[in-house]
Amino acid sequence: MNGIVLEDASVRLGEVEALRDVSLTLDARTTAVLGDNGSGKSTLARLVGGLLPASSGTVEVLGLDPRRQAAELRRRVAIVFSNPDAQIVMPTVAEDVAFSLRGDRLRRAERAERVTAALERFGLSDLADRSSHDLSGGQKQLLALCGAFVRSPELVIADEPTAYLDARNARHVADHLLAEGAHRLLLVTHDLALARRCESAVYVAEGRVAAVGASAEVIAAYEESLRW
Amino acid sequence: MVTLYRPGSSLWHLLATGRKALVLAALVLAISLLPQAWGRPTATIPAALCLACYAVPGIGLRVLLGQLVAMRWILIVTAVGQLIFLGPGPALVNTTRIAALISIAALLALTTRTTDLLDAMERGLSPLSRLRIDPQRVALLLAVTLNTVPALTRAAGQVREAQRARSARPSLRRFAVPFLILALKHADELGEALTARGVR
Repeated sequence: MNGIVLEDASVRLGEVEALRDVSLTLDARTTAVLGDNGSGKSTLARLVGGLLPASSGTVEVLGLDPRRQAAELRRRVAIVFSNPDAQIVMPTVAEDVAFSLRGDRLRRAERAERVTAALERFGLSDLADRSSHDLSGGQKQLLALCGAFVRSPELVIADEPTAYLDARNARHVADHLLAEGAHRLLLVTHDLALARRCESAVYVAEGRVAAVGASAEVIAAYEESLRW
Repeated sequence: MVTLYRPGSSLWHLLATGRKALVLAALVLAISLLPQAWGRPTATIPAALCLACYAVPGIGLRVLLGQLVAMRWILIVTAVGQLIFLGPGPALVNTTRIAALISIAALLALTTRTTDLLDAMERGLSPLSRLRIDPQRVALLLAVTLNTVPALTRAAGQVREAQRARSARPSLRRFAVPFLILALKHADELGEALTARGVR
């Protein structure tokens, strides 16, 4: 299966060049993206997820061109953001998970079956009829994950999914993201303990790739850069 | 989100969404068209219909009471206005009629999941696709609009809290600018999240 391939990819956001000539090939099942605030991590995640176009260079995700094959990419790639409030679209937990399947033209029974299975997997079955906005921060992020995983994506892109969570909820969310399964994971994070659990890592600095490889090596390089 | 839906298995819950909407719309229309000249029956008929609608097993008059409490300010303003300009008789009749209308219309939201409402709306609006109006988009617009209410309420609370934390005196300008920024940020994030979830 093809992973993520970028060749001389750049992204310009207004006057700022957020990513500059990035060339990468990511084939590991789980990859962490590290870097300081404003370094271009989230831009890289959005570029791979097809939310931002490359201003130059080429991008290939699961063998697809995010710009030309956007609909197919949406079917196979799920994205989870740090703020779960902005990801909730429907009033109740079960309905919000079902929303992810609306475009798939499934029969009602099949849709309900998949929603039930996903809710069970994420421990949200008891909250199915609860108001989505009345959940705790951890539960909301689990709901966002549930809404992403119900479509059985091949690639999950998570942009600081544990940023607003306490240690217990952060571990719970991370366990789900890193669980063995059919999906690949591209995880943007500041949490080095979480990054260590990934197979590979990318260190982004000032819009360029400063290091890429096994997570232990890349984390060591990043930690080295933190010394005064 | 302001979710009014109450899970249950009453007659209203079991009725198909489209038919339910038609029945409730017919009742609301009938009450609206009751002639004022009938006098007291113009109030008693809507009240009786409303009680009958809520008296079905699985809903109950307690839910009706909750609805009336929720709309108390509308009823008070209506009653006071009518009392001043039309007198006590018309004030009682019209206020009762409005209470019955809103309560009966609320049954749709109380007994129908938003997903089913959206499905019904998509089906109902499907003829508009000939006019190049996408029913899915219209239904989604409704869902997103409803969903934005609690998000903006929370944003307003955050701004007020931040102002209190900095001991700032309340002012419309000091509130409006950060609130607008938060609202725009929410709109951006929601747009991205919708795209990520396959909405084109």
